[in-house]
Amino acid sequence: MWTVFFQQTLNGVILGCIYALIALGLSLIFGILEMANFAHGEFYMLGAFMALFSMTLLNVPFLVALVIAMAGMALFSALIEHFIFKPIIGKPMINSMLLSFGLSTALANLALYFFKADPRKITSGLARIRFNFWGLFLTGERLSILVLSVILVLGLSWFIRYTVTGKSMRAVAQDRTAAQLAGINVRRIYAVTFGISGALAAAAGTMVGAMFFVSPEMGFTVVLKSFVIVILGGFGEIRGVILAAILIGLVESLGGGFISYAYKDAYPFILLILLFIFKPEGLTGGNRA
Amino acid sequence: MNRFLRGLFAVLIAAALYGLPRLFTMDYYLHIFVMSEIYAVLALSLGLIVGFAGQVSMGHAAFYGMGAYVSAILGTRWGWPFWITFWIGGIFSGVVSYGIGRLVLRLRGHVLAITTAFFGVLVMVVMNNWISLTNGPMGITGIPRPTPIEAGSVRLVFESRIHYYYLGLFFVAGVLYVLYRLTNSRLGDAMVAVRENEELAKSLGVNAMKSKVFAFTAGGFIAGLAGSFYAHYILFISPVTFTMNESINMLVMVIFGGMSTLFGPILGAVSLTILPEFLRMAGEMRLVIYGFALILFIVWLPMGVWGTLKNRLFSGKA
Repeated sequence: MWTVFFQQTLNGVILGCIYALIALGLSLIFGILEMANFAHGEFYMLGAFMALFSMTLLNVPFLVALVIAMAGMALFSALIEHFIFKPIIGKPMINSMLLSFGLSTALANLALYFFKADPRKITSGLARIRFNFWGLFLTGERLSILVLSVILVLGLSWFIRYTVTGKSMRAVAQDRTAAQLAGINVRRIYAVTFGISGALAAAAGTMVGAMFFVSPEMGFTVVLKSFVIVILGGFGEIRGVILAAILIGLVESLGGGFISYAYKDAYPFILLILLFIFKPEGLTGGNRA
Repeated sequence: MNRFLRGLFAVLIAAALYGLPRLFTMDYYLHIFVMSEIYAVLALSLGLIVGFAGQVSMGHAAFYGMGAYVSAILGTRWGWPFWITFWIGGIFSGVVSYGIGRLVLRLRGHVLAITTAFFGVLVMVVMNNWISLTNGPMGITGIPRPTPIEAGSVRLVFESRIHYYYLGLFFVAGVLYVLYRLTNSRLGDAMVAVRENEELAKSLGVNAMKSKVFAFTAGGFIAGLAGSFYAHYILFISPVTFTMNESINMLVMVIFGGMSTLFGPILGAVSLTILPEFLRMAGEMRLVIYGFALILFIVWLPMGVWGTLKNRLFSGKA
C-alpha cells in the first residue's frame, strides 16, 4: 500500500516537472505579451515529432535529438510570432485567443495529415536502466527527465534574472511603454519570449514522447491543464508555476490512482474552484492577477 | 416614412424566411437551415454574455449540452412531452449557470475564459462517465419528437425537417424579441456600462456582479433551450457534440458577425453554418483550411463582418 503511494507520488512529481516546462512557456507569453497562446500545445507536439524524426531519420542519440528539437522549435515559434501574432498584439484578448485557437487547429490537423494518427514512441535507450530504491522503481528515462527539468528551470531562472535580455523581458512585463522609452527593442523581446517558450515546450514534448507516446492530438489536452497551472501559480511567477505544476501532477497521479481514474480530467477544475474560494490571490500570494 | 420602410423590410424578411424551404426543398438544405437556427440562438445567447456583458466564456457548449441531456433523459425515461422538457432543460441550464456565474464571474479576462473552459471539460467528463444516467459515450437514442399541437381543427405535426424549420423560426424570433427588450432596458445598459468600465459603473451605483450574473444566467438558460431543441430534432445526442471546439465555434460565430449587436451573432451563425459545408470537398484538409481562415479573419476583420460594415457605412471613414 505505502509502496504504491510513494510510487504514485514519484510519478506525480515527474509528471509535474513536465507540466512545469510547458506551463512556464505559457506563463512567459502571458506575462510579456499579455495573450493566451492556445497553440502552445501544438508547439509541444511538433517538438516531440521533431525529436522523433531526428532520431529515426538522422540516427542521432536522444540528447542530441532533444537539442535539435529545442532549437528547431525556438526558431519555429519565433517565426510564428513574427508572421502570425505580430498584427494583433495589443488588441482585445478574445482576438488573440481565437487566433491562437485557429493556429492550433491548423497545426494539429496538418500534423494529422502528414504524420497520421497512430501513436509512436521515442526510444531513448535509457528505459533499460532501472533503479530500485526500497521497492520504488525509477527508470533511467524518468530520472533523466527529472534532472533535465531541473537543469532547464534553473537555466531559465538564471537567464531571466541575470542576462541583459532576461532583464529586458522583465522590464517589458512590468511596463511595455516604459521599457520602450528606455530603449528596449520590444519586438525583439517578443520574438525571444516566443522562442524560449517554444524550446521549453519542445523539451517537454520530447520527454513525454520517450515516456509515453507521440501523436498529433497530444497537444490539446495538455494546453488547458497548463493554463490552469499558470492561473494556480500566479502569472509570471516562476516558483508559483513550478509549485502548481507539481501539485497538479500529484493530484492527477494520486487522484487517478486512489479515487477515480475516469474523472481525472475534472480534478484541475475542482482545484481551481477551491483556489478561488479559499485563496483568490494565487498559490504564492502574488498580487498580479 | 422611416417607420413604413422598416415595416416593409420586416414583412419582406418574413416572406423570404417563409418561402426559403419552398425554394430549397432538398433535405440536406433544410437540415442546414434548421442547424443555422439552432446556432443563431446559441450565438445570440453567447453574444449577450460576451458582446453585451463583456465576459468571455469558453464553456458555453456545456449549457447547450446540459439542456439537451436533461430534456432527452426526461423524454426517454419518463416519456415527458417536449413542450415541458424544453423548458425544464432551459431552466436546469439556467440554474447551473447562475451557480457557476456567482462563483466565477468575479474573475476577469483570461482567467475567466480558462475557468469556464474547464467547466466545459467537467461537464464533458460527467457526460462520458456517469453511464447509468447519460449512457456515456454511446449517447442517448430514441428521443421522442415533439407531440402534435391540436387547437380546434388545426393540427400541427413535427415529423419532417420543414416542420422543425418553422418551429425554429418562432424560436429564433422569440429569443430575438426577449434579447431586444433586455438589451434596451436599464439592465442592458448596466451590462454595457460594466463592460466598458467596471469601476466607473460601480461608482455610479451599478451592481456590477448582479448584471454580469444576470447575463450569464440568461445566456445559459437560452443555450439550454437550444440544446433541448437540438436533442428533439436530431433524436440522438452524445458527448462529442458538446466539446470545447463547439464552445469556440460559437465564440467565432459571435465575433464573425460582430459583437454587441443582435444582428451580428445571427449573421455569424448562419454564415458559419453554411460556409463550412463548402469545405467538405477539401476532405482531410478541411480543418487545416478552417484554422488558417480563422487566423486571416481575426487579422483582417477584428471587428467582425457586421461591425466593420457598420463602421464603413455609418461613420463615413474606413
